[in-house]
Amino acid sequence: MKVRNLGAKSFKFVLSYSVIVALLLMALRFIENRSWFLGFFFLISAGLVAYIYTLQKKIPSKYLLPGFLLLFLFHIYPAIFSGYVAFTNDSNGHQISKTDAIASIIENSNVPASDIAPIEFKAAIEDSSNKLFVVFQYPVGKFWVGNSSILKETPNAQTPGFRVLNFSQTQEVASDLGNIQVHMKGGLLFQPQDFKTLQASKPVMVYNASKDELINSESGVIYRPNDNGQMVSAAGDALYPGWKENVGLRNFTSIIQNKEIRKPLLAVLAWTIVNAILLIILSFLFGLGLALIFNFPRLASKRIYRTIFIIPMAIPNVLSVLVWAGLFTTQTGVIDRLFHINIAWLTDPFWARIAVLIVELWLTFPYMFLITTGAIQAIPNEIVEAAEIDGASIFKSFRMIKLPLVLRTLAPLMVASMAMALNNFGAIYLLTGGGPTFPNTNGNAGATDILISYTYKLAFNGQEGNNYGLASALSILNFILVGAISIYGLRRMKTMEGIN
Amino acid sequence: MKSYTFPDAKRRRYWMKKILWRHIVGIVVGIFAIFPLIWMASAAFDVTGQLSTQQLIPTHHGLSNFTDLFGNKEKPFFTWVRNSLVIAFAAAAMQIIIGAAAAYPLSRQKFKGRKVTLTMILIVQMFPQLLAATTLFLIINTFGKSFPFLGLGHQLPLILIFGGGALGVNTWMLKGFFDTIPSEIDEAATIDGASHFLIFSRIIVPLAAPVFVVTSLLSFIGILNEYLITSVILGLDGRNMTVAVGLQQFIYGQYGKNWGPFAAGALLATIPVFTLFIFLQRFLISGLVSGSAKG
Repeated sequence: MKVRNLGAKSFKFVLSYSVIVALLLMALRFIENRSWFLGFFFLISAGLVAYIYTLQKKIPSKYLLPGFLLLFLFHIYPAIFSGYVAFTNDSNGHQISKTDAIASIIENSNVPASDIAPIEFKAAIEDSSNKLFVVFQYPVGKFWVGNSSILKETPNAQTPGFRVLNFSQTQEVASDLGNIQVHMKGGLLFQPQDFKTLQASKPVMVYNASKDELINSESGVIYRPNDNGQMVSAAGDALYPGWKENVGLRNFTSIIQNKEIRKPLLAVLAWTIVNAILLIILSFLFGLGLALIFNFPRLASKRIYRTIFIIPMAIPNVLSVLVWAGLFTTQTGVIDRLFHINIAWLTDPFWARIAVLIVELWLTFPYMFLITTGAIQAIPNEIVEAAEIDGASIFKSFRMIKLPLVLRTLAPLMVASMAMALNNFGAIYLLTGGGPTFPNTNGNAGATDILISYTYKLAFNGQEGNNYGLASALSILNFILVGAISIYGLRRMKTMEGIN
Repeated sequence: MKSYTFPDAKRRRYWMKKILWRHIVGIVVGIFAIFPLIWMASAAFDVTGQLSTQQLIPTHHGLSNFTDLFGNKEKPFFTWVRNSLVIAFAAAAMQIIIGAAAAYPLSRQKFKGRKVTLTMILIVQMFPQLLAATTLFLIINTFGKSFPFLGLGHQLPLILIFGGGALGVNTWMLKGFFDTIPSEIDEAATIDGASHFLIFSRIIVPLAAPVFVVTSLLSFIGILNEYLITSVILGLDGRNMTVAVGLQQFIYGQYGKNWGPFAAGALLATIPVFTLFIFLQRFLISGLVSGSAKG
């Protein structure tokens, strides 16, 4: 027993220290790459692991720590980070820092340097790495060997450790040769232009750090940073790429002020709420109706019906929604052919919304059916019987006794369903893609888009590039919406407990 | 004789009045419930593979949709299946381990901050991870710059993301079950000198085995069903996708063309989940029916 204990102890020791070391190494790598937050987070994690598993004696934190670290990193931090991204212009072409953006602009502004004559070179293979290099002389008397990533000076044209290729061997490596760019000091760039000579080029853009402006040394045009993270000339020509910039409340103000964003967004917001409320009411009524009908002791086959009714829960949602989308196809789809109708289910705004509701109802009614069945079965029989003795009709006993009791029991679950309905991404995005798209609007909002699907389209499916900043601002809006509903629901639950 | 026919007729009238319409409602709703499933199955075996000519019972049936699906080099169905299984197994295992580990002290130990922790988990649960999909994408992108295997297009970060959602998903449910295991058992074990880890791994976990089966299966199915975060992190690159994302890319916008092979793939992906679900429905129904009454 003692020995085994020792084994377990040393295993624990080795495990916790290797985790700490791994976390520290990751932290260093992140800090090296200037990912400050992640570096900091892994540093803290390493500290917490060290403290909780090796120093202190309290048990609960040992069990909770791994879950909480992951919860923070992949659930809470993204939410907080949305709050940060929402105040930036993060989007395609605005993802790097200003320093990187300017370096990239300068590097991409190379033009052939007419004052430098083509330079003769020899291709060579380094024996140790088997990589391709070029050997050349610039200026006269100075010898270099280099490729895109390495540049070394050599005393003379003889390069020990390299195997110089003859002409036909050089031709064989033509494609690799074409990719070589030797970066010289002073921004000069040497590239092979044929199998014998290098072409020199140099950037036309020059950055003046003290004035924070880029100057085109040929045309003399001056580019200055604008407030959206981009270098722009006086004439309005922008240089790409731009950089990530804090834009303050602009994403939010543009939601309010920019008519092209505001109009579709209001429609999306309205449909998000209407869709959720309609769905909850419809699916609750449907489920409750079924529960009342099939909670009938003398119906022998009610268990078979129950199993059939919950089949929608047994099919992977993504797939069943895609099948529905096929069935709803206009004219050629099964539904139109089966009922001999010609409804543009997925392309007419009104019918697309109906189709969405039908599919969502199909997805959710089994759950509602099961929970309302449970709630009805939980109503004590005496209450219903007492009401019958008092002469209440079936309808009255339902309305005055069963319904309030069922609603009271199910209130918390309904709030949770409401929060889910507000974010029913799959049912909408996979059925209609949020479409049909509103005409004449910015972005690609559609008649059946809800906030989450619109956000997804803005961030990952944008016609005008992916706008992470605006998408994050919408996420914040969605957080507020879901939070408000949840708080309202919790409040209601509290007051109901009070009534009890 | 008459005294016998009378209750018979009465019974029949009762049947007509109280039972018949229930069967009619049941059949209509039943058809609605299985509607997409039967059409999916019928399309899978319809060799014409056309949406526009599809009949409930296909006139020309065969397996050509399946062979088309398997033979498609650009849409590697079996690679998608493998991706889905790897991700769902790993992430479900992670969710269950993390959830159980967190539920244990929350159910068994009295410590400062216990209530706050439980409330916090409940609140976090209200904000699903997918709301922050945009920033998850940006964060994983940053990960990838330092550690390529943790970057976009890789399965590990996706598994970690789902694992990170574990506390919100399973903790309350598992805690509820742990609460029903009498604490006398672990008190006795403590007196016998068992450590907390021994109690957790040798007493609590084995006793809770049934609930682990159900929760891990629900986690597993939930992850198989996930579309948004999966497509964002793995991207829409042929070999990277899961079954859900892959079949969506396969069919989206080309229902006319790919309907048959898509239905074949969807049917294949549905069968295991469907079987598991029907096998487990007793637990699920009793859980939901009695669970709702408790709430």
